Amino acid sequence: MGLRTVPELLPGTLYMLILRTLAAGPLHGYAIAKRVKQTSREGLAIEDGSLYPALNRMLVKGWLKAEWGISENNRKARFYRLTAQGRKRLETEAAEFDRMVRAIQLVMRTA
Amino acid sequence: MWTEILRRFAWLRRQSQFDHELDDELQFHVESRAAELEKTGITPVQALAQARRELGPAAGIREDTRAAWQFRRTEDLARDLGYAARAFRRNPVFALTAVTCLALGIGANTTMFSILAEALLSRPSVHDPKAMLHLEIGGSSHSPMRAYRFVREAGIFAGLAGENEEQESNWRHGDTVDRLFVVRVTGNFFAVTGIPVAMGRPLQPGESDTVVISYRFWRHRLQSDPNAIGRKLVLDGGVFTVAGILPPDHRTVTGFGFAPDLYMPVTREETIVALYARMPEGMTPQIARERLKAVCDAFDKTYPDGNHHWAKGIRVAAIAGIERLTGEEMLSSVAAFAGVLMAVVGLVLLIACANVASLLLARASSRSHELAVRLAIGAGRGRIIRQLLAESLLLALLGATAGLALNLALMWLLGRVALPLPIPIRLVIQPDWRLLLYSAVLAVGCTLAAGLVPAIRATRAAIGATLQREEHQVGRSQWTLRNALVAGQLVVSIVLLSAGYLFLRNMVNASAMSPGFDLQHTVWASMRLVPEQYPQSAKIAALRGAALERLRTLPGVEAASVMRVMPLNGNITNGTDVTTDLAARPIHVQFHTNYVASDYFRAMGIPILHGREFLPSDRAGAPKVAVVNENLARRLYGDVNPIGHTIRSDFGLLQIVGVANNSRYFTLGEEGELAFYAPYEQSGKGAVNLEFVVRAAGSPESVLSAVQGALGALDRTAALEVKPLRNGLAFALLPSRVGAILLGAAGLLGLVLASIGLYGVLLYAVSRRTREIGLRVALGASPVGILRLVLRQSLAILTVGLAIGIALSIFAVRPLAMFLSPAVRPSDPWNFFVVAAVLCVVGLAATISPAVRAIRVDPVVALRHE
Repeated sequence: MGLRTVPELLPGTLYMLILRTLAAGPLHGYAIAKRVKQTSREGLAIEDGSLYPALNRMLVKGWLKAEWGISENNRKARFYRLTAQGRKRLETEAAEFDRMVRAIQLVMRTA
Repeated sequence: MWTEILRRFAWLRRQSQFDHELDDELQFHVESRAAELEKTGITPVQALAQARRELGPAAGIREDTRAAWQFRRTEDLARDLGYAARAFRRNPVFALTAVTCLALGIGANTTMFSILAEALLSRPSVHDPKAMLHLEIGGSSHSPMRAYRFVREAGIFAGLAGENEEQESNWRHGDTVDRLFVVRVTGNFFAVTGIPVAMGRPLQPGESDTVVISYRFWRHRLQSDPNAIGRKLVLDGGVFTVAGILPPDHRTVTGFGFAPDLYMPVTREETIVALYARMPEGMTPQIARERLKAVCDAFDKTYPDGNHHWAKGIRVAAIAGIERLTGEEMLSSVAAFAGVLMAVVGLVLLIACANVASLLLARASSRSHELAVRLAIGAGRGRIIRQLLAESLLLALLGATAGLALNLALMWLLGRVALPLPIPIRLVIQPDWRLLLYSAVLAVGCTLAAGLVPAIRATRAAIGATLQREEHQVGRSQWTLRNALVAGQLVVSIVLLSAGYLFLRNMVNASAMSPGFDLQHTVWASMRLVPEQYPQSAKIAALRGAALERLRTLPGVEAASVMRVMPLNGNITNGTDVTTDLAARPIHVQFHTNYVASDYFRAMGIPILHGREFLPSDRAGAPKVAVVNENLARRLYGDVNPIGHTIRSDFGLLQIVGVANNSRYFTLGEEGELAFYAPYEQSGKGAVNLEFVVRAAGSPESVLSAVQGALGALDRTAALEVKPLRNGLAFALLPSRVGAILLGAAGLLGLVLASIGLYGVLLYAVSRRTREIGLRVALGASPVGILRLVLRQSLAILTVGLAIGIALSIFAVRPLAMFLSPAVRPSDPWNFFVVAAVLCVVGLAATISPAVRAIRVDPVVALRHE
């Protein structure tokens, strides 16, 4: 894959990023990876090899639903959609993440 | 959580479709990325290649993705089990031996567990047993009908019923009268307990002439009569109608396997009943106890009864499970006995596990090459241990299944055997969840015990030993774990065998042991009169007199007498202070009491050492006299001849007229027991159960029918059982027989298992040293030398096992003395000598085949072998 130019994801944030990306609407796997890269202005990248196992683990947990649809370039693709459970999960993960980031910032600024 | 598992299952059903879809998805991903890369100006081929590189190895992604859905552990386990099953099919002797060992061990354990669980923890066949209580008031297990009615009418319970399980009844059918074991119950008993009937209906309140019969009674005594419901039975002279038949698995509220013939209503006001209450919703035993106390206080006020207070000694107890036992006084001895039995079968299982462990060790070390290869090419050590454990788990599962089958077969057999007990005990043993749980626990325990160590050792050895076949350099017979295991097995079997041998000797000894009275010429006739027909004891006395008169005039009869209890079959024990005319202070003595008529000692063949035995003149109203046994005489008077002296006790003032030889009273094994006899006619109220002893001039069989006829003619309604007295000793011999059979079987089983273990170890050692032996033969070693090689190892194991085993046994069997007759001393060195000899023979027998194999080793073949 050549030299890594983007930082690795913080551990445990992969699920949250996928959930957040899908909050706007259903996407297929490749689009999820691309969207994360774009919205982070190339600051984050999901390692391709870990995307599909993660998506499937989330299917098992019931946060996502998958169905086949037609992609923007008219090809058959598998689209992932947030379930109500996934939405709830996103809220708790986001809130927890916010709290943690704020706490880390507090320490970094004052200590 | 559950939906997650459901989703995983849904995935399992459509795995291949899923794989296709994942491939499509990855393909789409790569192509989308490639299309984008093409825009940067590279060729389509390059773009595709780069897109593939970015995605990473597809196989890995597929594996990881699939892993998200799998029940990882379970699938691995299933695969390991399948692999183990194939391995066993390739090596059936190994698998069969191991499974047999486990089956024997687990079968012995589950059987013992079944018996104990059924005897001690069974649930009576009542509706919702948890809501039922057994009540005791006034410190007695049974209460008068008046107290029963008072408590019932107080209405504190949802229902209160009474029953007396110690009743008998004479059943007359044709010309014979049989004594039946009967439970007398209050009219509401079936309604309160909810005991179901299989056919007909239960007893109803207000009925006095109906009965509910047991399944066994219906099957065997009424010959499965299809019209049994409504059939008339003549019981104690009255006519009763069969209202219902109990199901075959009926269990009484009394528990402990008690199996009466039928249930009848309480008809006599004098009957005392055990109280069984059903608690209303929300009541606890504590509340029940408090309310019951208040009711009994009121009862004591309403019906004052001297110093007896029913409100004292109140106890409420559960009727099922452990809670029932905690109330029983006999708990400690029962628990001790149960503990001994479980320990014995536990030891057998231990031997079996040691055997399996040793087999697995052998197998693992012969597979060390394979394991080393697998470790070398990257298999995880944990994974290999798991796989080896799967083998022992499979063995344990097979063993547990076979053991359960063995258990069912044994239980089926046991259900057919009637124990020689004075009351009918039948254990209704059915496989249930407790047994399954127990055997599952055993199986898992076996797996861990027998499989873990070999598995860990095998993988450790494989890492260290590498692929170089180092094992061939393993030198002389070293003390390996397997040798230790076999020695351990020998130790345990020696302990079991020593105990078993002691009980065997005890059994032989007890069968040959004299009870202190004659068994060669004596007949025991047991007669039960119908109480309703003998309202006054004078009428019973008249019958007794007539009976003795007739018996004594029968041809071939030398003497006849009647007694309250037949020695070794019944027992009355008194503990009391006795004041003699020679001592200033009372002596507290505990003795066996019997009330016997004139000629008792002559008929029983018990010698009178001093004075005389009872005469017909020792009747009611005559001066009170007594005969004591030698031990009691010595205790009260020392060396003074007690004839003519008087004693004062609870029995009043008595003159001692005779001293009888010591004999056995309650158990064959007892020694130094004190005994006291008083004349039957001076014993107060008469009992309806009469025990006659008849002394024949010849064999007891020669007068059986004459005795039967003479007694039967006196009262056609009486139940009569006539048999040679020696047949009446089965109960007395029971403990030593049971002990001998159980421990002997356990010891034998242990010995067989241990010798299989020894055989396996030696055979394995020989096969591993084939090359070495071949080399020795090639260099000129004689067969004797080779034999010595094998024997040395065998003897080393035997010696160590024997030494430790004997040393342990000496201490382990010592507490058994209390179960044994004094003639069989646990410390007798002869015991250990016999056991050691048996073990040596078996051990050497196990050595023969491996030794022969070693001698036959062909040097050419052995040396070419790798």
